[in-house]
Amino acid sequence: MEKVEFVVVGAGLSGLATALVLAEAGAEVLVVERGDYPGSKNVTGGRLYLGPVRSYLPDLWEEAPLERRVVKERLTMMAPGSSITAELSSERFRNPPFPSYTLLHATFDRWFADQASARGAMVISGYKVDDVLQKDGKVIGIVSSGDEIHADAVVAADGALSFMAEKTGLLKPRAAKNYAVAAKEIIELPPHVIEDRFGVENDEGTAQLFFGSLTAGIHGGGFLYTNQASLSLGLVLAIQDLMDKSGPNLSNEESAFSPHNLLEAFKDRSEIRPLIADGHSVEYSAHIIPEGGFRALPRLFTDGMLIVGDAAGFTLNLGVTVRGMDLALVSGVLAARALLRARERADFSSASLSYYETLIKESFIWEDLKTFQHMPDFLSNPRIYERYPSMACDLLEQILWVGEGTKEKLSTTILRTVRQNLFRISVLRDLFTMRKI
Amino acid sequence: MNIEAKLGLDVFKIDTEPHILIDHEICQVKCEIRYCLSICPAELYTLDPQDKVQVNFEGCLECGACFIACQHEALAWHYPRAGYGVQYRFG
Amino acid sequence: MNIIVCMKQVIDLEQIRIKPNTREPVTKGLPLLFGDFEKCALEEAVRIQEKHGGKVTALAVGSPKLKDTIKEALAIGADEAIILTDPMFNDSDAMGSARVIAKAIHKIGEYDLILLGDSSADEYSGEIPPRIAELLDLPQVGFARELEILEGNDQGTNTKTIRAVRDLEDALEVVELDLPAVVGVTSELNTPRLAPLSAILKAGRKPLNEWGPEDIGITADEVGANASVVEVLSNLAPVQDRKEIIYEDVEEGVAEVVKALLQEGVLTQ
Repeated sequence: MEKVEFVVVGAGLSGLATALVLAEAGAEVLVVERGDYPGSKNVTGGRLYLGPVRSYLPDLWEEAPLERRVVKERLTMMAPGSSITAELSSERFRNPPFPSYTLLHATFDRWFADQASARGAMVISGYKVDDVLQKDGKVIGIVSSGDEIHADAVVAADGALSFMAEKTGLLKPRAAKNYAVAAKEIIELPPHVIEDRFGVENDEGTAQLFFGSLTAGIHGGGFLYTNQASLSLGLVLAIQDLMDKSGPNLSNEESAFSPHNLLEAFKDRSEIRPLIADGHSVEYSAHIIPEGGFRALPRLFTDGMLIVGDAAGFTLNLGVTVRGMDLALVSGVLAARALLRARERADFSSASLSYYETLIKESFIWEDLKTFQHMPDFLSNPRIYERYPSMACDLLEQILWVGEGTKEKLSTTILRTVRQNLFRISVLRDLFTMRKI
Repeated sequence: MNIEAKLGLDVFKIDTEPHILIDHEICQVKCEIRYCLSICPAELYTLDPQDKVQVNFEGCLECGACFIACQHEALAWHYPRAGYGVQYRFG
Repeated sequence: MNIIVCMKQVIDLEQIRIKPNTREPVTKGLPLLFGDFEKCALEEAVRIQEKHGGKVTALAVGSPKLKDTIKEALAIGADEAIILTDPMFNDSDAMGSARVIAKAIHKIGEYDLILLGDSSADEYSGEIPPRIAELLDLPQVGFARELEILEGNDQGTNTKTIRAVRDLEDALEVVELDLPAVVGVTSELNTPRLAPLSAILKAGRKPLNEWGPEDIGITADEVGANASVVEVLSNLAPVQDRKEIIYEDVEEGVAEVVKALLQEGVLTQ
């Protein structure tokens, strides 16, 4: 039997951040990753907000293999045959410190693992943790292929499907309403083509989010991020909504609501086609995302174990900004701080590790999750995806359309649209809900 | 682009043992909708002529959607053994 | 029995993709691991050691990433590892690599057997075993799929020989060599064991030596890109020529496909 001070399960952003901080403080830490290399099992939409992270993990980002810094934000509202795009291009985004970057896990996570290793962490890939070792209700280590590794404390950084949290009873049964599924394609294009098509300069990129008819009334949306030499294009779909739309025994060919079919329809939109033209698809990936928010958070610690990142459900989807990786990194840092304090006191009991929860509660993670706790309700309103985008697109189309014959007064067009669409109880209700977000 | 071509883009290291097992008794008796059929982004679930759901685990993207959507706990879903399954080159 | 196992770090071949427009393989940034051949060589060395005692030394030339990769060799059972990661060794041809390996083996000094993959999984040139045998003036055999150490006695002194079964595809050849010798092995030799996680942890405590050019006494005119006399002219995936005939009618399609397979000699009547 081997014993180390700390075992981190999963070499994603949260686990590696934990390991990096622990190792830097001189603690003995082992990271166990089931993939062939860090990042090989990880999927991201593609953007990391560095703003919230820099103060927790300084001096790390100069050399990081980030793809492009996001200088242009686009938000597209889609109706069946039309769309409206709002674009923010801001000098503030073009000057350091840059707020966000696109990234690819397979490149970034391997680099990040090297950073943790360089500080003394042992990152071992190609080993799967099969079980949590528990004794008298306390976590004392892990089991991999029958091989036991004991530890003072274990960190569950095993992602959205955290079996570690499940096995220790921290995670309540998984409710479909708390999860979304994302499907993504990586489409290769030469860097200069990307820069031309998206109107950006060297190392600059764009982030574009889509909502409306592309998800066919399902709570979710699309995303398009520019990487150095590829695009990350995908869809996020609420699992409960996908299920509600599903008929009995509907095969995927028959179902218009399968992630693959919806993604293909999205790619075929006239808004997307020219952006991906002549590109080569080089990867198709998918993953679930915990989207339950504040109210679905599990208990974050138990005797001898903490949960970080996606495993703890730390994601924040506001429709217009989608965050997860920054929360993962910061929760990892906070977990490490709590463990280092516990190490000083040689006390890894639940009471001692509850300091992690205190740190989380003092951080933006808790505050932001709490501030936006009504967001999941608001975003599950189908009118956001169907009626409102259609109304806005139709209205603008009528205003901008010049055809044969006379054109009515703009005020008449606007008033008619407003009367037809907005004089409804449901709209009042939606406005009322909006107050909470 | 069809789903087979898309999955053809990825690196899969295929295990001899499946990492997803369906309990057909639960699935056939209790489940009327079979959400797994349409929710899987890799479209790996199909219905055979005997009304049994079959899964082709080899193209699994390990996303977990089927596991979340299965309402009757008919799926024994584990991550593949180390060294197997999808290995993303981009992620 | 002191055994030196030469191990090459290769890119994970399953990760290679081909650029659709140029047919170039994309190998940049791919994860590095030990190939099956070197794992078999190591496994055999550990098995021989388990039976005959002695020491197993893993010797590897490659990138700085070897510090991680080599732990696997130590976890599987090597007692010590020597890695050569100096950038001077980069882009060597087979001769350059053989010189580095031979000089490192020479420095190790005491050995009875040198085991290595008959070819490496990435370049598959098969040149290294005969070249190092020549440089060290040792007997050499390749394509070994079975090995056995024979201990004998010749006029009062203990002698050791190795019997190798060589896989010549159509035939199996059995040869015996006096030790020390160089043996290139195939992946039929054995099924390499997987190191448990705890063994990887323990491996961190085994001796790991990093040698540079001065340690083995090699200069830049003997190794690296400058010393290379082999020029790679092109490295492209073969053109795939598919006929892409689509039959609407199943009956007709099957008949046509069978006919075509008979014509090509894939099927015989």
